Amino acid sequence: MQDIQYIGEHLLPGRLGHFFILSALVSALLAILAFRKRVTLPEDTSWRNLSRIAWAIHGTSILAVIGLIFYLMVNQMYEYNYAWDHVSDDLPMKYIFSAFWEGQEGSFLLWMFWHVMLGSVVIFTAKRWEAGVMTLLSVVQLILVSMIAGVYFADDFRMGSSPFLLLRDTMEAPIFNNPNYLSLITGNGLNPLLQNYWMTIHPPTLFLGFASVTIPFCFAMTGLWEKDHTAWLKPVMPWTLFSTGILGLGVLMGGAWAYEALSFGGYWAWDPVENMSLVPWLVLLAALHGNFIARHTGLSIKTTYIFYILSFLLVVYSTFLTRSGILGEESVHAFTEMGLEWQLVGFIGIFLAAGIYFMWTRNKSIPVVQREEQIQSREFWMFVGAMVLVFASILITFSTSIPVWNKLVDVYGSLMNKGDMTPYHKAMPLDPIDHHNRFQLWNAVLVAIISSIAQIMRFNAMGWDMHKKTFFKHILISVGAGAVLTFLFSLWINLPSWQYIVMLSAASFGIVSNIDYMISFGKGKLTSMASALSHGGFALMLVGIMASGLNKRIISENRFAQDGLAEGLDAGKNAFLIKDMPMFMNNYWVTYKSDTLDGLTRKYEIEFVKVNEKGDTLERFTTHPNILYDRQMTKVATANPNTKRYLDRDVFTYIAGLPPEQQDKSNLKRIDSLLEYKLYYLKTGEITNAGAYKVRLDSIMLDSRHKEYEHEEDDLVLSGAVTVFDSMGTDSGMIYPTMIIRKGLLYSLSDQLNDFNLRTRLKASALDSLFPIDEKLSYEPLIVKAGEVHTWKDLKLTLEGIDKNIDHPNYKAENGDIAIQAVISIETADHKTHIARPLYFIRDGSPLNMKAYLPDIGLHIKLERIDPEKEEFYLYLARLTDSPRLPLEVALDVPRNDYIVMEAILFPGINLFWIGSLIMLSGMFIGMYKRLRKS
Amino acid sequence: MPILILALMGAGVIMLVSASKDMSTYSTFAQVKRSGDTAKVVGKLAKDKPMYYNAEENPNLFKFYMTDQQGEVHEVTLQAAKPQDFELSEQVVATGSFVGDEFVASSILMKCPSKYKNEEVMVRSNM
Repeated sequence: MQDIQYIGEHLLPGRLGHFFILSALVSALLAILAFRKRVTLPEDTSWRNLSRIAWAIHGTSILAVIGLIFYLMVNQMYEYNYAWDHVSDDLPMKYIFSAFWEGQEGSFLLWMFWHVMLGSVVIFTAKRWEAGVMTLLSVVQLILVSMIAGVYFADDFRMGSSPFLLLRDTMEAPIFNNPNYLSLITGNGLNPLLQNYWMTIHPPTLFLGFASVTIPFCFAMTGLWEKDHTAWLKPVMPWTLFSTGILGLGVLMGGAWAYEALSFGGYWAWDPVENMSLVPWLVLLAALHGNFIARHTGLSIKTTYIFYILSFLLVVYSTFLTRSGILGEESVHAFTEMGLEWQLVGFIGIFLAAGIYFMWTRNKSIPVVQREEQIQSREFWMFVGAMVLVFASILITFSTSIPVWNKLVDVYGSLMNKGDMTPYHKAMPLDPIDHHNRFQLWNAVLVAIISSIAQIMRFNAMGWDMHKKTFFKHILISVGAGAVLTFLFSLWINLPSWQYIVMLSAASFGIVSNIDYMISFGKGKLTSMASALSHGGFALMLVGIMASGLNKRIISENRFAQDGLAEGLDAGKNAFLIKDMPMFMNNYWVTYKSDTLDGLTRKYEIEFVKVNEKGDTLERFTTHPNILYDRQMTKVATANPNTKRYLDRDVFTYIAGLPPEQQDKSNLKRIDSLLEYKLYYLKTGEITNAGAYKVRLDSIMLDSRHKEYEHEEDDLVLSGAVTVFDSMGTDSGMIYPTMIIRKGLLYSLSDQLNDFNLRTRLKASALDSLFPIDEKLSYEPLIVKAGEVHTWKDLKLTLEGIDKNIDHPNYKAENGDIAIQAVISIETADHKTHIARPLYFIRDGSPLNMKAYLPDIGLHIKLERIDPEKEEFYLYLARLTDSPRLPLEVALDVPRNDYIVMEAILFPGINLFWIGSLIMLSGMFIGMYKRLRKS
Repeated sequence: MPILILALMGAGVIMLVSASKDMSTYSTFAQVKRSGDTAKVVGKLAKDKPMYYNAEENPNLFKFYMTDQQGEVHEVTLQAAKPQDFELSEQVVATGSFVGDEFVASSILMKCPSKYKNEEVMVRSNM
């Protein structure tokens, strides 16, 4: 392959890309050295300039790499693996960002991008902390860039995976023997599951969250490194608050995406990927509270250090779990392997070792306040609360890391020569949702109560004797009003067990207590209410979780409860809906109204109507779930739910199943070929028996009313209007089997009557008999005058008049045309009347005409000439046969194809969850603002 | 405070121990049948055996045959809609237990080969 001169490849962007990756690596290294030097020489301007220049070069290189990847993707340069893998010719530009971070390399770059942005802010604002923080941040960047370096050591020891690899270098395929292979390939495209606006906003937010955890970590490490254990506690606070706010928002958006776009019907499923984005956030919150304590009392500096280091390590660990492929069988949406396992392990190892080393060596120099613990103090309860958060994280991480434990067991086994360790492997809990909920419920209860109590206390229990009265007064108010609120909520929320009563009480107590705090201690200023907003928001969120989770009701309940199957299993959550047939389920009349195919998306219209006993409509709404096909229409790529939102509840709908013919285009042919068609030759008006049904041909038409037929110019169409009756003659339906000649190709559209399980189609021979070419016809002249009745063979013709409104399907008007249509009524021997409208027109001085054709009676009529003086019309008539028959094929016992399997769930009070979470996060941003303003 | 922290840590250990009891194991049909417990069975769809799903009769009943890692083929019943493109699945993890001679799955996780990376589908019958 080495000597092939490939055509059309653009190799320059790739070379530039490799150059900028290299320059990002080198400049990060330089930045480390220069910032490091400044820690010891803080006043030296030349080192200051050098370090900042190095950072600027690093930042520019990262931006250039990102820019080049976008360049490859926007221009669809499929010679590059990354472009080929993530974009395609038909990918809308609005998804280009999603495509960029779909791949691991792109998401690493997104992470680095945010580090560059945040680092630049640090340079301008951190003053005395700049050098230390930036040294550490540069180390993190160096490691991250190495993930995309794509440098080989020895033969197969690769460091990083480059986004600039050529497609022909990543795989071997015979196509690359063709120098012009580029003209033959097209991109892979973006996973349809990710073609969603959430994928445009969720990853950047989450990665900004992840990146922002690095900054407090760097502050803490600098504090340890420089043995300045207290001064960093203040400047780090706005960063920590920013990070908890943004990371929290990122996690929440992940939930919103899952709820809106995924099929599992909920915002949280305790999936490993979700868990591992939540855990760093929880630990960072613990660090934040440790930080508060340390600043106000000088206590718990050590724990604060540990929590900050831990939060960053967990971010890296989370990256490892989701990217190393280790989750394998356990997660629905883990990334695939990229061969970076050892590098990610090294990443964690380096910072774990650094953290332990610094904690160990600096242990003695960290100030410890020696004094009696005061149970009446704010810091005591804050500390307990922080421990609860850390404990919650340990529990979640423990269960989520089972694949890692298995791997460790394997490593142990191979070290000890124990052979196959598979029998010792564990799997994740059978029902992870129940597992996590059961334990986290208690952590939520503790956090809701402790956060409220601690808030009314004072640091160092200052003036407790004086404050005592106020404290108990407010606790009493909260307990009293909280009990009332609990009672009110319990009227609405189903509480299946006492645990939930405890949780609801704790949440209600939290809501009341925090509102009370805002009124009594908020001084009317938003900035003084930050913590109460966060804590109260959390409590409100808990109520939302309970309301939407415990009151969740499946609307689409199965009417066919299964006998003989396992007891205790739910009857099922999917309902079978036939088009236009309303079904009653859980107080709603649900109707599958329609579906329309738009490109690769099939959009559904599902109507819900709620009626009371009198039959009045109480509520009516429509949801629009859809399904997206893959490009060949042979596979349902994803089913997108749709949710009707009310203030107090949501109705979630989702298409869980389709008729096989709508799942895969190739099933159309397959199923049709399994049917047994019987052929009938029918005249217009004739009735025949097909099984238990009667089939009548009403008319033969040169158009079609088939629901799937869309007229295109120059179409030649033939269809039968067919009525089918059941044996009793009580029920009937109409179908329109159709045949189309379009651009020289013949298409047949069969039509199905689902209520009778009957399908009809036209036999191709219909075209020969019903569309005879003009040469086969022998026209006979007939001269007629308006109003006179003429006889031609067994037909009686009358020229009713002329019409200047031309409706001849083949006529295209041109400027200067003079055109008329004759209106001729034709009575057949059996006294049926047909109207023919042959066209006569003069264009550029020449007389022209277009015939009218009545397929029902096989009659062709031309209007060849008009004698204006005698008012005579020269008609030419021809007929191949006096009773044309339509070859109609009928199949019986055809499976239905007009149904969907739908899932509909009612989520009451889900907005309390969203509102509560947003209030909680807004409290963090207000807290950050407050601290920025103060400093 | 040390007492409280100790108590908290004690409670933590208890929780952790009880949490670890929730861990399940990967199993085979024979083992699940013998133990009578609920477990996860890893295997493949037996493509030469019939699959049953008739939405018209019952939209929440799907049956298929699965070959576990010991090579045993057994029918699996799932009370949910048939996942799209189940035929294409490369690997199936079924969580469930035996009811008589029938393996009833409460959830299945299937992995499909795909031009898109690692497309997996999780189907639960209960929620």
